[in-house]
Amino acid sequence: MGLGLLASRALRSSRILTSPNPRNTILRQIVSTPELQNPEAAQAQPESSPPDLPHRAPVAGARVHFSNPEDAIEVFVDGYPVKIPKGFTVLQACEVAGVDIPRFCYHSRLSIAGMKIKTDTPIAKKAREGVMEFLLMNHPLDCPICDQGGECDLQDQSMAFGSDRGRFTEMKRSVVDKNLGPLVKTVMTRCIQCTRCVRFASEVAGVQDLGMLGRGSGEEIGTYVEKLMTSELSGNVIDICPVGALTSKPFAFKARNWELKGTETIDVTDAVGSNIRIDSRGPEVMRILPRLNEDINEEWISDKTRFFYDGLKRQRLNDPMIRGADGRFKAVSWRDALAVVAEVIHQVKPEEIVGVAGKLSDAESMIALKDFLNRMGSNNVWCEGNGMHPNADLRSGYLLNSGISGLEKADAFLLVGTQPRVEAAMVNARIRKTVRVTEAKVGYIGPPTDLNYDHQHLGTSPLTLKEISENRHPFCSTLSNAKNPSIIVGAGIFEREDKDAIFSAIETIAKNCKAIRPDWNGLNVLLLNAAQAAALDLGLVPESKNCIESAKFLYLMGADDVSLEKLPSDAFVVYQGHHGDRGVYRANVIFPASAFTEKEGTYENTEGCAQQTLPAVPTVGDAREDWKIIRALSEVAGARLPYDTVSGVRSRMRAVAPNLLRVDEREAATFSPSLSKPESRQEISSEPFGNAVENFYMTDAITRASKIMAQCSAMLLKK
Amino acid sequence: MSFTLRSVKVAPNSASLEEARTRVFDFFRSACRSIPTVIDIYNLDDVVSPSQLRSSIASQIRKNSHITNPKVIDMLLFKGIEELNNVAEHAKQRHHIIGQYVVGTGGLVQDLGTKDQANSNFLKNFYEGNYF
Repeated sequence: MGLGLLASRALRSSRILTSPNPRNTILRQIVSTPELQNPEAAQAQPESSPPDLPHRAPVAGARVHFSNPEDAIEVFVDGYPVKIPKGFTVLQACEVAGVDIPRFCYHSRLSIAGMKIKTDTPIAKKAREGVMEFLLMNHPLDCPICDQGGECDLQDQSMAFGSDRGRFTEMKRSVVDKNLGPLVKTVMTRCIQCTRCVRFASEVAGVQDLGMLGRGSGEEIGTYVEKLMTSELSGNVIDICPVGALTSKPFAFKARNWELKGTETIDVTDAVGSNIRIDSRGPEVMRILPRLNEDINEEWISDKTRFFYDGLKRQRLNDPMIRGADGRFKAVSWRDALAVVAEVIHQVKPEEIVGVAGKLSDAESMIALKDFLNRMGSNNVWCEGNGMHPNADLRSGYLLNSGISGLEKADAFLLVGTQPRVEAAMVNARIRKTVRVTEAKVGYIGPPTDLNYDHQHLGTSPLTLKEISENRHPFCSTLSNAKNPSIIVGAGIFEREDKDAIFSAIETIAKNCKAIRPDWNGLNVLLLNAAQAAALDLGLVPESKNCIESAKFLYLMGADDVSLEKLPSDAFVVYQGHHGDRGVYRANVIFPASAFTEKEGTYENTEGCAQQTLPAVPTVGDAREDWKIIRALSEVAGARLPYDTVSGVRSRMRAVAPNLLRVDEREAATFSPSLSKPESRQEISSEPFGNAVENFYMTDAITRASKIMAQCSAMLLKK
Repeated sequence: MSFTLRSVKVAPNSASLEEARTRVFDFFRSACRSIPTVIDIYNLDDVVSPSQLRSSIASQIRKNSHITNPKVIDMLLFKGIEELNNVAEHAKQRHHIIGQYVVGTGGLVQDLGTKDQANSNFLKNFYEGNYF
């Protein structure tokens, strides 16, 4: 049943009922029900309570009749609540609310009521054909060489609704291409002026770089002045462009979309776990596209996620290698490499064995590494980024407790030592969405940064935090007036000496502004790396704080950013990973492993949602999956791990952290922080917060090997 | 090309299993007798010994030891004689003989070491490749 039919029923019945006694028109049907009001809407406009408004009469005595009380819905017109039946148009609602909307075609006594909608008559088809003809008038006929060909909305629609011939014989117009940077290729002649990209840039990405210039046939999309599009979400305009005007520059002329195999997997370059589809051809990853997940990334992904894939083809480790006496690596067989490592590991004391899991490690390999080192007698194993004394006791202490989509309920944000725009671009997009819709207030403590929404820069050091916790700061009132205050703490703080003091100050703030309640947990930690949450769930916590200094055997499982300066020079270093990155420089033995595009692995994102990657392409050279390498090494070293299959590893994971097996489900923390936690004796230092991510485009081994990411860093980062 | 043994007529069908059995033994003896010639014409001295070839032929025959139908045995015998003729007439090349009778089905590279024997299946598969 269409809207028109419903409206007509409402109108007709009201006429029948009310025509005998026209005196009753004074009776207002507008009922104000404050208890029904939406809390968010009320928060956004606290001054618009009904009694303050001037009395308004419905336009021309319009009134409504409810045949069924359940059909009544409440809408707000200029902040004024009006009850209308379902199916009313906005125009009719305004009329009931007493607002006269200027119009010419609509008339309440003329036919819109009883309108008969037909979608497949020859006239409708003819009309669509006409619209298509206008759209195609200036659209070039270059589908055979267009990268959008085969997945083009205009192509599909012209096949479905268009005419089989054109009548346009004049010259087509042409538009100068714009340079939007190293990621987005423009062929502006193909543009049909839908302005989706302009709206995306200003609404979602928060940059005012794109706009519409000119009028009539001279109308074109462009940057107003010669300028690159400097947004971390700029790649999404490729997806939303319905034609081939904006396409991917790295993907240009590389493949046609119908020859690609799509694999639905997740992204591991940050802790968000964006849902992606990897399109591959044979052994090669050709492109990465977002997948819809309303709870995590909606339908966007960051430029790093979309374009780092060329790093998967560079600097790969494909053979086991041993460093010879001359300092050069020599490729050897797996048998020899495992035998050498197994021999060395028995020559050192158990407490001198140290293992570090990398940023991109999956949960399977991390539990295998921990089990193996425990069997060798050592418990010095951790995941880089978590610091040397992480708080792994309560999950609420390291998760984004409100959830990424839950951030939309917040009405005040306090960002502590975190720059979400570079640390987790999709979380930042969510904060921006909230700020844009509800005008939530944002306070930021940290080094000067460029957030793409209104915010107050409160300070740079933890001293500001102390002021807020002691109610000596003007932002305190914003926080305590907020219904759902949200405090977001950056994981960069994990590496600080005064971490516990900072966290206890933050907990005091959370207590003061009632951020932790049964219905709302606003104390959030924003993690940096894909492996962090799962590592803490699995208990990868080092036993001794300075184990690197005393290590004689160091096992780096893809760990490239751990500081090795204090490592003794006689220590034996094994690097297991897929890229010849920083960790390899110090390694004595290299075990080649699979990248996340080549294996099945479990990752937990920053809000506690476990997700799995799926292999999209075969593994490179003689590389093996991470957990298999550790399982094989454990057998050669004589401490055989009791699992031979990935399901065996997972049942071991179930014993330690069962939430990691509940894939695609967000497992929130059960206990809130500040629950029976010992008081911190630390003093807050005045050392300012640092940047956790120096270069958004290059954060891990894969992105550092990518040429496109290097171009982006050179051209788009503000120096 | 005239094959000398081709002039030998195809024998009539074996009347009984006994007769077929005798024929198989006759065939085996004639094959054994041709072994020195075969080694000579295919230059197999340094890769195989006569006794190895003999056991190779014997194992080929024993592969069909379960067959009891005289007609089927005659057919297999005919195929065997034909193969022997081809070999003896140098209708094959050296690698045919080496592939079929010297290396056999075991493959060229055989890891006869004892180092993997104590390993689990997992480790053996791990050394083979990533996908198992």
